[in-house]
Amino acid sequence: MRIAGVEPESVVDGPGVRFAVFTQGCQLHCPGCQNPETWADDGGCEESVPRLIEQMDDAVLAGGLTLSGGEASRQPSGCAALARHAHRIGWDVWCWSGHTVEFLMRLASVEQAKGDGALAEMLSQIDVLVDGPFLLRRRTLGLAWRGSDNQRLIDMPATLRKGRAVEWRPPERASLAGSSGGDAGRTGEWWV
Amino acid sequence: MTTTTEFGRSGIDRPATSLPALTGTAVPTRVRKRDGRTVPFAADRITRAVTRAFTATGVQNPEPLALQVTLGVLARLSAQQTEQTEEPGVEEIQDIVEKVLMSQGHDETAKAYILYRQRRTMRREEQSSLMTALRDITFAPAEDCDAKRENANIDAHSAMGSMLRFGSESAKQFNMLQVLEPAHAAAHRDGDIHIHDLDFLTLTTTCCQIDLSRLFEHGFSTGHGILRAPQSIGSYAALACIAIQSNQNDQHGGQAVPNFDRDMAPGVAKTMRSRARSGLVQAWLLMGGDPERAAEAARTASDWVLAPDADARQEERNSVRTLFAPLGLGELACDRIDERVRRQAVAETERLTYQAMEAFIANLNTMNSRAGAQTPFSSVNYGTDTSAEARLVVRSLLECTEAGLGGGETAIFPIQIFRVAEGVNYNPGDPNYDLFQLACRTSAKRLFPNFSFQDAPFNAAYHRPGHPETEIAYMGCRTRVMANVHDPSRSITYGRGNLSFTSINLPRLAIQADHDVDAFFTSMDAMTDLVIDQLLDRLKIQSQKKVRNFPFLMGQGVWIDSEGLDAGDTVGEILKHGTLAVGFIGLAETLVALIGSHHGQSDEALDLGMRIVGRLRERTDRAGEETGLNFSTFATPAEGLSGRFVRIDRERFGAIPGVTDREYYTNSFHIPVYFPISAAEKISREAPFHALTNGGHISYVEMDGDPSRNVEAFERIVRHMHDCGIGYGSINHPVDRDPVCGYNGIIDDVCPGCGRREDLAAGGDGIGFERIRRITGYLVGTLDRFNDAKRAEVADRVKHA
Repeated sequence: MRIAGVEPESVVDGPGVRFAVFTQGCQLHCPGCQNPETWADDGGCEESVPRLIEQMDDAVLAGGLTLSGGEASRQPSGCAALARHAHRIGWDVWCWSGHTVEFLMRLASVEQAKGDGALAEMLSQIDVLVDGPFLLRRRTLGLAWRGSDNQRLIDMPATLRKGRAVEWRPPERASLAGSSGGDAGRTGEWWV
Repeated sequence: MTTTTEFGRSGIDRPATSLPALTGTAVPTRVRKRDGRTVPFAADRITRAVTRAFTATGVQNPEPLALQVTLGVLARLSAQQTEQTEEPGVEEIQDIVEKVLMSQGHDETAKAYILYRQRRTMRREEQSSLMTALRDITFAPAEDCDAKRENANIDAHSAMGSMLRFGSESAKQFNMLQVLEPAHAAAHRDGDIHIHDLDFLTLTTTCCQIDLSRLFEHGFSTGHGILRAPQSIGSYAALACIAIQSNQNDQHGGQAVPNFDRDMAPGVAKTMRSRARSGLVQAWLLMGGDPERAAEAARTASDWVLAPDADARQEERNSVRTLFAPLGLGELACDRIDERVRRQAVAETERLTYQAMEAFIANLNTMNSRAGAQTPFSSVNYGTDTSAEARLVVRSLLECTEAGLGGGETAIFPIQIFRVAEGVNYNPGDPNYDLFQLACRTSAKRLFPNFSFQDAPFNAAYHRPGHPETEIAYMGCRTRVMANVHDPSRSITYGRGNLSFTSINLPRLAIQADHDVDAFFTSMDAMTDLVIDQLLDRLKIQSQKKVRNFPFLMGQGVWIDSEGLDAGDTVGEILKHGTLAVGFIGLAETLVALIGSHHGQSDEALDLGMRIVGRLRERTDRAGEETGLNFSTFATPAEGLSGRFVRIDRERFGAIPGVTDREYYTNSFHIPVYFPISAAEKISREAPFHALTNGGHISYVEMDGDPSRNVEAFERIVRHMHDCGIGYGSINHPVDRDPVCGYNGIIDDVCPGCGRREDLAAGGDGIGFERIRRITGYLVGTLDRFNDAKRAEVADRVKHA
């Protein structure tokens, strides 16, 4: 695989501590992109899938794999292999793409028809896909894991099942036991 | 003047030039003083000094001899005068006096004169260094004066802050010159060791863990009347602040509450009962009950609790049915009343608890102690009481902390420490797991709470179930007091603290050992012995203090066994429960100096590091056995120290790469902040040192980005600390705030919330962003109160996750 780099303990590429692989090469060139150094196809460095898998096994803190880039979907077979290994060791898989999920699914079926099932395999290994290009004019800080508000968090297994984009909802964190749920005096006086 | 008459008797008139023997020779007319000014030359000053030297050596009738010497000096001076054009300096003249004394055969007197000179020189140096220090405090702005920023939580701009520094600088010098053993003073002055809180050397001890419940049970006095036992959570919280503040006035170190949730829980219970009583009385009156019998309604609700079990709840319903039956109400109606009153009482209790915690935090960030220059160094431990009342306290405290102060600011105090324990709050399904998660969420936004780990073997060893005083507690930045050699049956946290601590400059010993590890160990042993000796000396001074010197700490029985002592009793015996800590700084630089790599870089260095700290621990353990006192090994936080040692060592040894080439020595056993390392590895490589440093320790992980947006990751790192055997840990991350729009998060040059810039030059409006950072364990609101070394350290920090 051609990669721009690896971050074995990323805390900014999806929930929890994640092993993030940044693939090299992207043709979208969104203005305001966070990682423009990952655009050129000949940048970054070569890294073998087994070597990356070895590094994943060493990342004791990580609980998930993130495929980002660059445009990860341009290297589907490597990504699919990493994602399969992630699932084998109990991790979940998040992937960032500048394409929409609808586009990726069409592309995958066209390629599959031509006998190349790599992208379809990759999509089937992703749990959450953050999709869509970064649009500078729709930039926002308010949405978790997204840079502009056109981007979505896609629940991939549900999307593949239903054949249409299903948005992912974060699991509810347990609410406090024993709480009456009342808004305990937020407007209280500052001094007793 | 006396001199005139003295010399008049000797037949000498004053201006030296009028001496008959010297008529016509070139005696200097002016002399250069030490400060560079020139004054008229006066030969009688020489005569006077020499006379005193003769007298001191028992010479009878010294004047003629002194005159002889003076003439000799003048002769040499005039011989010199033809060669040099500049006026002679005072030191130069004194050198000549020494030579003349010896050449005229007055060897004894020459010796007396030399000694006298040396004493004068020392006195002058002392005075000038004290005066320089005081001048700096008075005239230099704090941004230029490191002494003013020695402690980042003291506002040295203020009048009271300056007065505190005046006292502190004077006390330091006094202690150095008059109190300390010369060998200890020299070691401190030269930077071999650092005697912490030197200004308080003769006055008090460091810190204490306050058992609030004991104070509250019977009420207490702060010197002007008794405060009665508190009756509501609001009073509990207010009195907690007062106790912390009062105790702070008796000690120079941190004030900790080892079991804040347990201490506050009875206050919640009392508030619940009082709310229930007043609710049921209201219901009674509303339903047409006889006002004369309102007291009966109050009694009925007087044992209601926040979360009754099914039986208690049924009993509660039954008593309400009995109460209201005479009014002709059926069971269903009575149960509805019970339900309604209960709901209201619980809601009010929750609101009052939240307000109490809000006030607790506000008070601890505003009420000043120590001459009004700083808030108490407060810390509170909590997290393992599973009662509904205690859980409400912790939940409220965390929610208040998360909400921030009145303007949304991050609270600097108290340091909060969430005690993590398996079976209580660590795993999903544990009764307080939800509070652990809330603690992670809060810390991810506000840097507090820190996390202490009850299950670390060295902490678990002391825990006796059912005895909260044996659960681990930490004080402030890291201090840990648990084992008790003096009285092993009382290896507890309550009423105990550190007495004093002194740190060893390990990197210097390593540089001097010149790669010879054995030589290093030998000199470290000697230095450890010196420190132990010094701590024992200091304890002797502390031991002579009387109960009345600590009106709250001892007078109110906060310190263990002080209850029952009289104001005039000395505290020596009960101080033996406290700890004497031998600290160290710069293990990383030490290892680089010895073998070329630090413990983040190689396993060889990690092993050697363990041997070094292990040896220190063995030595402090042995000192404990020999003396019956609680010596401990301490991972020094080193705020004022981080720059001082390295500054002295760089002057002495030059800039050695990886050793003296930065502005600071690395904190205790930490892996250097500038060294890139994964969070997992940093934690696992620092964990073994926690087991060795029984006097206190903490590990930090620097986390990238805004962890409040990824609490799962935050919790994962805390769990890893637990699993690796860390005793006390915390996660650092940038907390910035724009005071204009209120945005809280990471702000670089531009506020992400409103797009504002702070920098005038870049088109901003000059209103600065607030940037909270942690410095040696305490949070500090503005970077300009950091001293130079710590500023450099913060700038060097790399992220681990």
